Amino acid sequence: MTATASLPRARAPRKRKLSGIRQRETREAWIILTPILLYFSIFFLFPVISNFYISFTRWNGISGAPQWIGFKNYLQYLKPPYTLIISNTLLFAVFTLVFQTALAFLIAVLLNQKVKGRGIFRALFYIPTLTSAAITAQVAFAFISPYDGVLNEILKMFGHDIVVWTINANWMRLFIIVYSIWRGVGGPVVLFLAALQGIHREIYEAAMVDGASGKDLLWHITVPLLKPMIIFVLITGMIGSFQIFEAVLLMSKGGPQNKTNVMLLQIYNDAFVNTNMGLASAGSMVMAILLLGFSITNMRIMSRGQVIRD
Amino acid sequence: MQTKKRPITPARIIIYALLIVGSMIMAYPLLYAVLGSLCNIEDFLASPILPMPRHLYLENYTVMVTASFPIFLWVKNTLVRIIWYITIPGIVAVLGGYVFARLRFRGREAIFTYLLSSMMLPGIVFWIPTYIMLARWPGAGGNNWLGQGGSGFVNQWPALLIPGLVNVYYIFLMRQTFYSIPEDFEEAARIDGANTMQIMWYVYLPMLKPTITVMVLFQAVSIWNDYQWPLIVSGGNPDIHTVALGVQRALLAGASLKGWPPGTAITDYPFSFALATVASLPTILLFLWLQDYFVEGVQGFALKG
Repeated sequence: MTATASLPRARAPRKRKLSGIRQRETREAWIILTPILLYFSIFFLFPVISNFYISFTRWNGISGAPQWIGFKNYLQYLKPPYTLIISNTLLFAVFTLVFQTALAFLIAVLLNQKVKGRGIFRALFYIPTLTSAAITAQVAFAFISPYDGVLNEILKMFGHDIVVWTINANWMRLFIIVYSIWRGVGGPVVLFLAALQGIHREIYEAAMVDGASGKDLLWHITVPLLKPMIIFVLITGMIGSFQIFEAVLLMSKGGPQNKTNVMLLQIYNDAFVNTNMGLASAGSMVMAILLLGFSITNMRIMSRGQVIRD
Repeated sequence: MQTKKRPITPARIIIYALLIVGSMIMAYPLLYAVLGSLCNIEDFLASPILPMPRHLYLENYTVMVTASFPIFLWVKNTLVRIIWYITIPGIVAVLGGYVFARLRFRGREAIFTYLLSSMMLPGIVFWIPTYIMLARWPGAGGNNWLGQGGSGFVNQWPALLIPGLVNVYYIFLMRQTFYSIPEDFEEAARIDGANTMQIMWYVYLPMLKPTITVMVLFQAVSIWNDYQWPLIVSGGNPDIHTVALGVQRALLAGASLKGWPPGTAITDYPFSFALATVASLPTILLFLWLQDYFVEGVQGFALKG
């Protein structure tokens, strides 16, 4: 009897101690989280909700109150030039992404062939990513100057007529895509190279013993094993290239006739040049919706990382 | 006996050829700008494909000092932002990472998901309302208590320092790092009577150093290059321009002028390239110095998953 009576008594202090730890942890968590959540609510939750509301209104953001106009701002996005602007954005994003990812994959596979000076090559491919998009775009604009730009000098060298880039939509598009690839290829190279280095040599050696060719190794081992990384690069790349801004703002200003205009530039112009905050907010909502699928997949990848860790 | 030396096969020659050509294409614009910046205007115009300075010409750089060009003001402004945006989001990330990795309390996962959800939206969704909020801030910049009448914090320092202090990406990264540290260290320190602040400072901080370094580097590079937000909120006030905005505007202003304020209106490419070089070199040197940390940072959560 004494034994059974003493058992709960012996357990009691331990339980109290455990709940004491819980209490301390809860208290400390809230001391840290309160300012964070307060700030986050003012500068994340409140802006997001206001943005949603403003997108249904007409408002200059300066004076007066927002005036409810329903879906009118969103309907603008179904009409030209906004339809053209959306398709330009998609065009830039898809072309940049496809070529950039393929090139980065190729470069990473080459760098993985035990080359000398791998670090130097990797650095050379990554350095453009470290520069300011605004400054490199502005310098690139000097490169396409019609009469003293270096690109026309090169075209002349190949016997081609000079191109007035700012009035020739297709050349301008091509140049913006090439510039974007130049600036963006470094990140994927680093990622693919790291993933390639994570593949054990034994897998290749075993396959070679079985008589696999170099092409077999690439398509049946490298590509499948790198699939998660390829998906990650494509998704984050899509989210990134969809938000192309500086290159267009500083090189073509969206011209000629909106043929190189993109969503972020139009939203920027609507908001801060034309002070049409309602239309701009609607534009940002359209952009968020178009990217939603990619964003959700990205979040899934992130939280899967967390699940494995736990 | 196998030698370590690899035989020179046609395949290897092709690999090197492709890599060399590729990296030359990548380096060409940078090389062009750097060489161009070391030319006087005659040398520059003499060789259009790749400028070749016939003798070392540094005046494009020295003129920035002698003509009291505002690049030093821009650098100072940018450094203020870098220090601020390393310190505050850094502290938030370390403490936040600790809370979500180590402390058990009700609602932890829900709050973390709430924070993480912000990463699903493109930045522009916050920029417009945040801009309006800063412009209509009651009592600031000539505004009355309803936020009307003035321009609020727009074109003032607070606009460059208020947004983005809670960086969810870094909280996530820190949490992952805390997961990789065994809990035994903290328990041992608690038994020795250490409190949470002491544990953070003496136990965790030294172990978090690699992740903190990655964070500091990426934050420094991204604030140094930050253009969109400064353009929106500080475009009208040259006194608070940052490097990216100031240099871009200077390049645009006719890519023009060695004197400041503007004097002659000739297109002076060598001087423009000198400006672009000064603006780009710090991040590149930082990368070359600490390449391994950058590579680790790029891998960030791609590989940790």
